[in-house]
Amino acid sequence: MHSIPLALYVAALAAYVVHFARRQAEVGRAATTLLVAGALAHTFVVGMQTMEVSHVPVTSASSAISTFVLLLVLAYLFTEMTTEERTMGAFILPLVVALQLIPALHPMPEERADILRGPLFGIHVASLLFAYASFALACVIGIIYVLQFKELKAKHFGFFYARLPALDVLDTMNQRAIMVGWICLTVGLVAGFIWAGQVQGSDPRVQAMSLEDPKIFVALICWVVYSFEVFAARRIGWGGRRAAYLSAVGFAIVLLNFLPISYFLTNSHNF
Amino acid sequence: MHLLLVGVSHRTAPVELRERLDFQARGLDAALTALNERGAGREAVIVSTCNRAELYTVCENVAEGRSAIADFLCEYHGVERASVLPHLYDVADMEAARHLFRVAAGLDSLVMGEPQILGQVKDAHTAATSARTAGPLLNRLFHSSFAVGKRVRTETGLGSGAVSVSYAAVSLSKKIFGDLRGRSVLVIGAGEMGKLTALHMKSQGVHQVTIVSRTIAHAARTAEAIGGASAAPWDELDTLLGTADIVITATGAPSVILTKAYLESVMRPRRNRPLFIIDIAMPRDVEPAAGDIEQVFLYNIDDLQATVRENLARRASEVSRAEAIVAEEVEKFGQWLRARGAVPTIVALRQRFDAIRRSELDRLASSLPPDTRGRVDDITRLIVEKLLLTPTEQLKSAADPDTIGTYAEALTRLFALDTRADATDADAPERRERRDRKVEPFVRPGSR
Repeated sequence: MHSIPLALYVAALAAYVVHFARRQAEVGRAATTLLVAGALAHTFVVGMQTMEVSHVPVTSASSAISTFVLLLVLAYLFTEMTTEERTMGAFILPLVVALQLIPALHPMPEERADILRGPLFGIHVASLLFAYASFALACVIGIIYVLQFKELKAKHFGFFYARLPALDVLDTMNQRAIMVGWICLTVGLVAGFIWAGQVQGSDPRVQAMSLEDPKIFVALICWVVYSFEVFAARRIGWGGRRAAYLSAVGFAIVLLNFLPISYFLTNSHNF
Repeated sequence: MHLLLVGVSHRTAPVELRERLDFQARGLDAALTALNERGAGREAVIVSTCNRAELYTVCENVAEGRSAIADFLCEYHGVERASVLPHLYDVADMEAARHLFRVAAGLDSLVMGEPQILGQVKDAHTAATSARTAGPLLNRLFHSSFAVGKRVRTETGLGSGAVSVSYAAVSLSKKIFGDLRGRSVLVIGAGEMGKLTALHMKSQGVHQVTIVSRTIAHAARTAEAIGGASAAPWDELDTLLGTADIVITATGAPSVILTKAYLESVMRPRRNRPLFIIDIAMPRDVEPAAGDIEQVFLYNIDDLQATVRENLARRASEVSRAEAIVAEEVEKFGQWLRARGAVPTIVALRQRFDAIRRSELDRLASSLPPDTRGRVDDITRLIVEKLLLTPTEQLKSAADPDTIGTYAEALTRLFALDTRADATDADAPERRERRDRKVEPFVRPGSR
């Protein structure tokens, strides 16, 4: 069921890449149209699953990824429409396609344990997924920043120079994305801690909810990294390129937490 | 009927002669009216810029048209024939169309791909339209040339990249800061180059331009010349460097004035806000190693000239793609022109057939019952149309004007077509169009 949005995302990726290389306005519009179509199809799929299991599908790893991808696409479409800047599409779509492959090729049954009810759990998951989508955007913006920075420093104006936005614009976009992500991350983590404290029962997964669990531990590392980026980095002169690198490192940790740790290592979050 | 171009350009004439042949000074309207009164052609458009003066006309005879226009050019500007003729070029028909398309695309410009020329070509056509000297042929030609200019601009990189040093500085600033509005520019040194670059920045809407010089009077004078800029004494340099976004150094100092260590101390309180330094002084004002500071983007005059050269090379590499677009559009225009040449014959042929059909129908009319008369009329018209469809298409799509001429000649003889009378009819829709646009044919009274 996830393959229809996947196919549309692949088509949109191709269109964004062609648009990036040739800069033809019609191709750019086609790319956006394909991506909007993909997002609609994806919303439909997630909506159908929600009807089927009567909650938003986020508890199995593959459906959480699917919902995350949808949020990422929506966040990207929002930035594209507010900034009129299509160049980022060619960078964000590879990530979208790669992640969407997981639910398309390896869907997992969506079952909700009884303990996963209540508004706190909902806030926990929704905030974190949104935080991760913001961090993904910040990471891509950071990569673009570094590419443009290198061309300007090397005084070589090649392929990227003409196509990428101005450094200062990218820096501002990066700061905003990190800020939004950090707020969501904080809300999500706090909600998670409160919820874990409230939940009663002898479920072994609830017992495993401590700082020693890799998923929780790595999430806290993420929070430390992004807090540093939001509050300290610029004061000690870590703006611009270093902030961009930091965004990439932060998102690498997020992905690590989201994929291998969720699948193999955690004892507390494998519902 | 031929399309004829006579003119001079930067490729054939020195600037002194081009100045004397400039039409803009006295107004294109006056020139077009004067040309019209001489009756040198049916239609006329004059493209006059500082790099070219070109007269596009439609005439019956190329040789006569050529000398009539050369005469006009000399008399109108009061220049001796002998001094103009060696620099004059003339091309006819498809080559004239190709020339205009290349001009509109920026392929014939002094700076390859420069964008102003398309606007100038449009202005030339507008002037001719309001002087009522542009007819159907030149209208079509010029509209095609606008399409060529637009296609070349959007489909090739012929016009992309800065090709002057001060424009290169502006476009680099935009890649660092995005919008230049709200940014402040500091010019160190009161020289000419610094002033020129600051003027470019000013035209992009920078918030503030400040001039610093060892002699405050020089700074004040330059600031006044730029307009809306302010002058500051040398000892405020530290503070000014702390707030500026773009710094242009252009002093005559014999040694470096901004060292790496000094700039590092300036950058610290800026909290890594980027600083773009353009060092256009010779010898250089900024220590080259300062470019290694994280948020300092240091460019000297050689770097800027290198980007200009790179952009020119990139433009040159796009020429063949632009020429391909020109060739494609010349072909399209040629097809339109040839099909247009066949129109009088086609109209005459249709009228001939229809006349025969009608006379036969009139003879039959009395013997036909009234209710079948309409049907017979329909059927016979359909038969005539079907019979004429193939020859019409063949005639229109013939590859060259000679073949069309031969075919038309054969048809005229075989069917005893009255081309003279019919030709006026054939022109009728065209003339109606001219009247609608209030454009009179460009013919001397009594010349026909």
